[in-house]
Amino acid sequence: MLRIEQLEFAYSSAETARMRFDLSIADGEVLSLIGPSGSGKSTLLNLIAGFLDSSEGSILLDDRPIQDLAVAQRPVSFVFQQHNLFPHLDLYTNVALGVDPSLRLQPTQVEAVRAALARLGLDGLERRKPGELSGGQRQRVALARVLVRRRKILLLDEAFAALGPAQRMELIELVKELVREHDMVALLVSHQPADALLASARTAFICEGRVAALGSTAQLLEQGDPPELREYLGSK
Amino acid sequence: MSRALPAGLVLAVLALLVLAPMAGLLQLSGLPGYEAADLRFWDNAYLRRVLYFSIWQALLSTLLSVLPAILVARAFAMRGQLPLRRLLLGLFALPLVVPAVVAVMAVVSVYGSDGWLPLGRSLYGINGILLAHVFFNLPLAVRLLLPQWQAIPQHHWQLGEQLGMSTWQGWRFIEWPVLREALPGVLLLVFMLCLTSFAVVLTLGGGPRSTTLEVAIYQSLRFDFNPARAVVLALLQLGLCILVATLTLKLHRLPEVEIAESAPVRPTSALRKWLDLGLILAATLYVGLPLLSMLIDALDGPILKVITDVRLWRALTNTLLIGLSAAAVSVFAGWLLLRYSAGLAHCGRPTVARLVDLAGSIVYVVPPLVIGTGMFVLLSSHVDVFDWVYPIVIAINALMGLPFVIRCLGPAMRRNHARYHNLCLSLELQGWNRFRYLEWPLLRQPLGLAIALVTVLAMGDLGVIALFGSTQTSTLALLIYQQLGAYMIPQATVTALLLLLLCLGVFALLERLIGGAGNVAH
Amino acid sequence: MYSVLPRIGASLIFLLFCSGLQAAMPTLVVYTYDSFTSDWGPGPQVKTAFEANCSCKLELVGLSDGVAMLNRLKLEGANSRADILLGIDTNLTADARASSLFETHGLSLRNSALPADWQDDLFLPYDFGYFAFVYNRESLTNPPTSLRQLVEDADGPTLLIQDPRTSTPGLGLLLWMKKVFGDDADAAWARLAPRIVTVSKGWSEAYGLFLKGEADMVLSYTTSPAYHIIAEQDARYAAAAFDEGHYQQIEVAGMVRTSKQKQLARDFLEFMISEEFQKIIPTTNWMFPAVAGETLLPAEFGELIDPSPALLLDEQQVAMQRKTWVDEWLEVMSR
Repeated sequence: MLRIEQLEFAYSSAETARMRFDLSIADGEVLSLIGPSGSGKSTLLNLIAGFLDSSEGSILLDDRPIQDLAVAQRPVSFVFQQHNLFPHLDLYTNVALGVDPSLRLQPTQVEAVRAALARLGLDGLERRKPGELSGGQRQRVALARVLVRRRKILLLDEAFAALGPAQRMELIELVKELVREHDMVALLVSHQPADALLASARTAFICEGRVAALGSTAQLLEQGDPPELREYLGSK
Repeated sequence: MSRALPAGLVLAVLALLVLAPMAGLLQLSGLPGYEAADLRFWDNAYLRRVLYFSIWQALLSTLLSVLPAILVARAFAMRGQLPLRRLLLGLFALPLVVPAVVAVMAVVSVYGSDGWLPLGRSLYGINGILLAHVFFNLPLAVRLLLPQWQAIPQHHWQLGEQLGMSTWQGWRFIEWPVLREALPGVLLLVFMLCLTSFAVVLTLGGGPRSTTLEVAIYQSLRFDFNPARAVVLALLQLGLCILVATLTLKLHRLPEVEIAESAPVRPTSALRKWLDLGLILAATLYVGLPLLSMLIDALDGPILKVITDVRLWRALTNTLLIGLSAAAVSVFAGWLLLRYSAGLAHCGRPTVARLVDLAGSIVYVVPPLVIGTGMFVLLSSHVDVFDWVYPIVIAINALMGLPFVIRCLGPAMRRNHARYHNLCLSLELQGWNRFRYLEWPLLRQPLGLAIALVTVLAMGDLGVIALFGSTQTSTLALLIYQQLGAYMIPQATVTALLLLLLCLGVFALLERLIGGAGNVAH
Repeated sequence: MYSVLPRIGASLIFLLFCSGLQAAMPTLVVYTYDSFTSDWGPGPQVKTAFEANCSCKLELVGLSDGVAMLNRLKLEGANSRADILLGIDTNLTADARASSLFETHGLSLRNSALPADWQDDLFLPYDFGYFAFVYNRESLTNPPTSLRQLVEDADGPTLLIQDPRTSTPGLGLLLWMKKVFGDDADAAWARLAPRIVTVSKGWSEAYGLFLKGEADMVLSYTTSPAYHIIAEQDARYAAAAFDEGHYQQIEVAGMVRTSKQKQLARDFLEFMISEEFQKIIPTTNWMFPAVAGETLLPAEFGELIDPSPALLLDEQQVAMQRKTWVDEWLEVMSR
């Protein structure tokens, strides 16, 4: 259970520049975050990952606060839209870095890396460089690394935005499976309402640094309430 | 292949500028004093020793300059918010323009027997050579390596942090791969600068034990008047550099895919912060102390007398004229070459691309004395050379600036090409429009650095202008040498300070005007 | 305001007239070293003085040094614009003579101040000097009194010298040692070597290092202290007088064979050995005038050491042996 309570962040001193979030996500759940650009979706993910520091409030994982931990200590894996992989390293090494950045792996860990790659349908490609892969395959590698890292929180920041619809659906399904299998907590930022419908039972609409609406994805998208959401969705 | 043509032209002009003078000199072999046996350097113990020493001191100087420069550049990259950062980096562009004799004096002021950090007699010998070469080249390497950190995607830093990479691991997986693109070129450039060093090596080297190939070339052409031997030695020097270039290229990797630009904002520990600041401070002291000693000496000198002399201002105007023209020519030629080589790298021919870059860089090691004298031989029977002093001086300085242009602009231009070339093709964005909308906004920073660097380099040049001599052609560097040659050492110190201040001003102005208001290197 | 226009017109006409006049005047081209042409060298005064009477234009072309001048002339051959070459020394005259680029001047040096008689059809001296080791009286209280003492005293003063391959005084010292020690010069160099702080490319570097206090003595000229006395009112510097005598440097000028204005060139050489020219030399070139005369030398030159006997090797011998001697020197110094 991930709980975000009164989490505040201000990117300048102006009152309007203050963001404040309240959310909770259950184990095994994927929660979609939608909202206009600049509304604070990515900021929220960066606060959870520790790339940004909150001024107030707390991030609780299973009732333990994590907001004071260093980035590396946080139980978080992050998948970006791009630059998830080091272009000069092969797939195996890119994933193995998730186990131990010194690359001194026990035999069982090596096996875990191979298993993760196999789980993501990448077996046989261990020695390829990221440049030789399709965009979808690259994101699969990033997910394989998430697996070997065994961290509870998974943050996806428009991770599949650059992919085609079929690949996107495939990967979202995959994320759901992985989250269920490993009992993770996932937050998925996307611009596609279709992604949200597919990915999560619940969706949060973020607007002007707040959670403006939260509820069943289908309902939220249909009702279009509050008005900002309607505007965002472009529906009448 | 429309870009092959201008690049081919540049290469042809380069070849002509380098090879024709050599041919001209060889043609003189019929002159008295010429002995074919002189050319067989391999069974001449003296030349073998010279060759050995040249390579040894150049290798050592290169390593001692570039390795610390990596650490210092990294510290600068990590401390984007450092106060005075811009000024410090401006300071780092200065040693390159200090005329060799002035630099020797400045180094002696600091490390000489009456200096601030006296080394006594042990200064003369390899110690002095290394001290001076590192003084010249460490700051240069810092300036050239710094932009590489900018090419690291922000997400890589974040990923590294999340994966809990240590400093060493971050270096190994994030920084080193990006550095590899620029490092070989910088190593080669510094090696060439140290290999061709002359007055520094002879004066601080302690005696003829420290003789470099460049000295032997000078000796052949001047003292023995044996042009053929000078050409053979120049070719030997060229061959040596090609060899080193081949070795450094083994290190070289063009980045594979995925490149982005961002400021490396990296939350780091207080210890790391202090370590970085310590490194920056140490490097600044190392570079700054000799410059400071020059400042102190100059403030003690007859400032008013020097700056009220109208001839100083004439020399200053000439200096600016030569510097700016040489930079314009050099950057234009370098641009054409790089555009071609970036295209080659993009369509899967990185080896050819490297060769094109190499051709542009390697010309540096053919001594200006050889090129100049050769050109003289070729031109003097057709034109009045005195009318051609400015064009020749500008051409040779532009030639000498080319390797710097290639180092500054190369990586950025390749990146730009890889990312936007297809977009440009689809938009039919080409020629002037491509420059205006794409290349200028994205490349103005390295472009500014290249132009500023070549300008100050040409402003500090002495070799070429002294070679041709003339009634009116005077530059600040020449003025300094004339003052030193006439016992007027205090005056020379003041002039040297003026040259430095001028260079600092021109450098900052050009970098700001062309590079834009953004801070240095990012 | 209305008066401005005609004034500009008049000035323009005047300028046109002047430039027309200039074009009509013959130009005498003199190749020399650039410290001669520099603002504080003899050049500017010489130019003014000569042009005052010759109704010609004197163009002084500064090249880096004597060797550069001669090489330049050789390279240009018959195309050279030079009428006069001014500033090679007696170590280069043999080479210059062999090039057959020079014309008999037909003048004689009356009232010579040179220690030895001057007989040369091609070259005419305009000044001379003596090499010497210069030291600071305050830091070196008992300088050596002979070259032999300097060489043999292992605890003697430290030295800054110049490279004979790249510098005139450097070559001068090489010949000086040869003159004094003959075939034992190698051994003498070997004894001297440990006390040589460094061997610089040119005079400027060594002298600059000396003023910074890097060594006790520097190879320079007997006239060097005069600069400090006259221009800086500083009497600390002195040249050490050596018993064996001091090696001499004589600077000469010659007329280029291909010159198209031989009469004008001859007039210039005549002017060069006149009192008017000679008077300029001591405090601009810091050398002794080639012509004797009470009024030519400033009083401060009287305080300088007596360099006699003047030492000089035969120019033919220098030309033939120079290369061998330099190679020997390299061998000894590189050990």
